Amino acid sequence: MTGSNHPSAGGDAAADPLGPIKLLIAWAVVGIPAAWGVWQVVLKSLALFR
Amino acid sequence: MAALALLDRERTIARPGFNRWLVPPAALAIHLCIGQAYAFSVFKIPMTTLLGIAAPVAGDWPQGTIAHLFQVAIAFLGISAAVFGAWLERVGPRRAMLTSAVCFSGGFLVGALGIWLHQFWIAVLGYGVLGGIGLGLGYISPVSTLIKWFPDKPGMATGLAIMGFGGGAMIASPLSVALMAHFKTATSMGVAQAWVAMGVIYFVFMMFGTFTVRLPAVGWAPRGFSPASVSGRMITTANVTVNSATMTPQFWLLWIMLCVNVTAGIGIIEQASPMIQEMFSGKVTAVAAGGFVGLLSLANMSGRFLWSSLSDVIGRRATYATFFLVGPALYLAIPVTGKAGSVPLFVLSCAIIITMYGGGFATIPAYLRDLFGTMHVGAIHGRLLTAWSAAGILGPLLVNTIRQHEIDQGIAKADAYALSMHLMAGLLLVGLISNFLVRPVDTRHHYVRDGAHSGMGAPLQEGSA
Repeated sequence: MTGSNHPSAGGDAAADPLGPIKLLIAWAVVGIPAAWGVWQVVLKSLALFR
Repeated sequence: MAALALLDRERTIARPGFNRWLVPPAALAIHLCIGQAYAFSVFKIPMTTLLGIAAPVAGDWPQGTIAHLFQVAIAFLGISAAVFGAWLERVGPRRAMLTSAVCFSGGFLVGALGIWLHQFWIAVLGYGVLGGIGLGLGYISPVSTLIKWFPDKPGMATGLAIMGFGGGAMIASPLSVALMAHFKTATSMGVAQAWVAMGVIYFVFMMFGTFTVRLPAVGWAPRGFSPASVSGRMITTANVTVNSATMTPQFWLLWIMLCVNVTAGIGIIEQASPMIQEMFSGKVTAVAAGGFVGLLSLANMSGRFLWSSLSDVIGRRATYATFFLVGPALYLAIPVTGKAGSVPLFVLSCAIIITMYGGGFATIPAYLRDLFGTMHVGAIHGRLLTAWSAAGILGPLLVNTIRQHEIDQGIAKADAYALSMHLMAGLLLVGLISNFLVRPVDTRHHYVRDGAHSGMGAPLQEGSA
């Protein structure tokens, strides 16, 4: 996922050992509120099918 | 001063080992916040009783006045995206995101002061002007960065970010209601306090995006990727500056395409609740209509990701051709579903239309990248967003004017939408012709440096062509 043709320019030549954890946290920071918002809308949308 | 250096473009360049999949959440952090704009309507009723609390009294702002806050914010979104795009390309995404956060959050704080003092002009200056500038800067700031990190799938990458703008309202709407309920007292509607809280929450959230975002180093490419593998007749490896781009027919053809797609979509979104209730009178309640509006929000958000990702596979031109061919058929189907009394078919038609409305927004940055290269794509995107501002006025105006004209002519409310739906179908055909006319940009518009045409990703200065 991090691959690069130019290791000195930002690739996985020196892959960050904390990379997967950082990635998980970053996606959780945006994913949890987004999922909560979507869930609220899904609940509201159900009124259409009742 | 040393702290400000952290914002420099050079300090934003990713170190070896940086995972490019950290950039989409950074972009989402910005877009999920600024997407709040779509949820502004939740404040409209509470703001009409800021003085009277239980009911409006003399001096309370009417709904029509309050609507100006949103209109000014959207106008400044378009203006700031067009004006500050070139600056963004020069200073990089981090400084632009921070500025966006300061303006957007500051807009809430100044707006809250306006509400507290009950001075409408202060509220306009805050939420409308300052907040609107934050919206415009925030909307365009991650786009070119994402395109540079994902040259192999630019549609998917920008679709992810722009999907956040659609999803932002889904968070903001229940959050605003909860905050107002929390702060409401016998003497206050809790709006000003809610705005202060939202300003602080959004600032913190946007700081996550600001300090997570990174630019790839010059010449960086994903493993196994070469520009030649994605270039084709409609995908350039050259670059066009923002000023040159606006002088090409391609820019204006895309402007027309975005404008008609948004005009048609807004026509549905703006009238969604009354339309379904009037077309299916007795079958659909106000509560169910609220559910329909929610469903359209989901379609808008998901369409942004799905269509833009699909465009990486089938191409940008084919994606827009789908919008402009399937769209008219669906618009023509809407009055038929009303006459047939089929709520499921009506809902399905509208939902597909709204996926294409969102898809149009999300696919346009990648289309611009294909035609004009990556160098100034953020700035070019900013200028193209003036089409959104135009459509924001045109869409509701067309649907409301035609509907009222039809009703004045004695046509039943249930049938009063047919003409405007036919007009929207016609507008989309204009988009189809525009899309058909798009050709690769003439090489005379390509940016040339040191006698050689520029390659993808070169960090060049605005206005130096």
